[in-house]
Amino acid sequence: MRINCPYCGARCLEEFTYRGDATVKRPESIDESARDAWVDYVYLRDNPAGLHKELWHHGAGCHSWLEVTRNTVTHEIVAVELAAKGR
Amino acid sequence: MPILSIRKESGSVSNLESTSALHGFAAPGRYGKRDGDAGVTASERKNLGLATIAARKGQEAALKAAIQSAYGADLPDGSTSAVGKGVRFIGIGPGQWFAVSDSLANEALADELSTKLQGLASIADHSSGRAVMRIEGPAVKDALAKGLAIDLDPRVFVDGAAATSTLSHMGVLLWRDGDAYDVALFRSVGGSFWGWLRASAAEYGLEFVTTS
Ligand SMILES: [Zn+2]
Repeated sequence: MRINCPYCGARCLEEFTYRGDATVKRPESIDESARDAWVDYVYLRDNPAGLHKELWHHGAGCHSWLEVTRNTVTHEIVAVELAAKGR
Repeated sequence: MPILSIRKESGSVSNLESTSALHGFAAPGRYGKRDGDAGVTASERKNLGLATIAARKGQEAALKAAIQSAYGADLPDGSTSAVGKGVRFIGIGPGQWFAVSDSLANEALADELSTKLQGLASIADHSSGRAVMRIEGPAVKDALAKGLAIDLDPRVFVDGAAATSTLSHMGVLLWRDGDAYDVALFRSVGGSFWGWLRASAAEYGLEFVTTS
């Protein structure tokens, strides 16, 4: 498997580390009332068969965090963006 | 008076000569195939000024303008290099560059960059932490291909092109300078690098030359 890093170009998988689901959002509130949202954020993950947005770190290359859209059934990668896009 | 102050005078720290990262185990000479011309020639580029430049938040445009006016180089937005007055600037990541200089030797490069780019970028001196090996010769691409998963075809990896990657599992920064390839590696893996190079270039004949 190769990942086409927006900065470095196509590189082999060994240069990257998987860093988890890119769709989870940190809850705004730290109140007790947001408890369920925090459990969801920290522990619960969907396990989709098909397209999935995930974070990868290009640790042996440019050190960018990438947001990769990957098909979990075929491993086909349909999009790669810098996670810091627009920031 | 601070106890740790070091006075710079004759025979002090500033006059020490840097030691090769391959000192003690890589002797100049011919290795591997003995007949014919060497397919690979390697040398160490010693006493280079090496420094990283990281743009401060929101200062990238101002940093580029400052580099352009001080060195006449356009900081690249990708993994390639721009050569300005006495300094090569290599893209190593978004907002980050690796600077290499012959004329601003050792820590002089980081000192100058820190002064000229004050407030625009964070500068770190790497001159004593990395060794830069120059590898060239007719079989250089074949030898490098044994450890490096980068396409070095000259149509793709053009003059000045650069890559941060791994070479036989060692983290390296590689760039092309004309027909030569410069490999910056951490000094501490100098021995491992030499072992890899000696084995990988043996079938083509390796000539190891030391430089100043
Ligand atoms: Zn990258």
